[in-house]
Amino acid sequence: MTDRRAVVSTRGPQPTATYPHANVQGGYVWVTAQAGRDPSNGEMVAGGLEGQLERAISNLEGILGDCGSSLDRVVKTMVMVVGDPREDVVDAVFARRFPNLPARTIFGVAFLAAEPGHEAVEVQLDCVASLD
Amino acid sequence: MKEDETITIDKAPVPRGPYVHARKHGGLVYVTGQIGRDAKTGDFVKGGFEAEFNQAIDNLEEILKAAGSGLDRVVRAQIEFVDEKDLDSMNRIYGERFKEPLPARTSFGVAFLWKGAKVQIDCVASVDD
Repeated sequence: MTDRRAVVSTRGPQPTATYPHANVQGGYVWVTAQAGRDPSNGEMVAGGLEGQLERAISNLEGILGDCGSSLDRVVKTMVMVVGDPREDVVDAVFARRFPNLPARTIFGVAFLAAEPGHEAVEVQLDCVASLD
Repeated sequence: MKEDETITIDKAPVPRGPYVHARKHGGLVYVTGQIGRDAKTGDFVKGGFEAEFNQAIDNLEEILKAAGSGLDRVVRAQIEFVDEKDLDSMNRIYGERFKEPLPARTSFGVAFLWKGAKVQIDCVASVDD
């Protein structure tokens, strides 16, 4: 059996329930959905969907880095936006942030429960990335 | 190409359509979303969100066991639920049922689930080839 480990990074906002930032197994890193929270204080960043998505991707980047991976090795990502997914905004951020585009699933959700301050959460995204 | 092994068991509610309970590939098993239906009767368990979530995790656990995996080998879990007020219950039960090393987790609110289900959970877990 290949080794499998849960990772809690200092570069993502501290988890608020019983989950780590990531689970590493068999050449892949599975990352818990990240919202636009500042890792230093757990607060949601300003800037609406765009600002939150930028921060959430930075959180993914930090977590992936601590796991030995990176944004350019993201195989697949899932983006959840409260209400209308506003893909034009998401597309612009993705084009800036993902050097090698991953497969992407995006959809609008009824709510995102990422306390504290969860009334302001507009977006979260998770990913699976390779370690190669 | 080697055909993937699929798993469909009696100890979880019978699939409602053209899908299996789980499929294995590359050292992982991918499990279909499970809701709080009793495996024997196919009916929702009584007792609201908490009973449904525990039953859904029971179903997941049976499928994982049949695949040669287990709740302790889940690498990623995804939870969808309908009522935001159930967040604390969801976190508590999840914390009771999943053990270290904990999986990565994604959860979000949805507009509806099959026939009024309150919660659904799926996962990817490691398995010996």
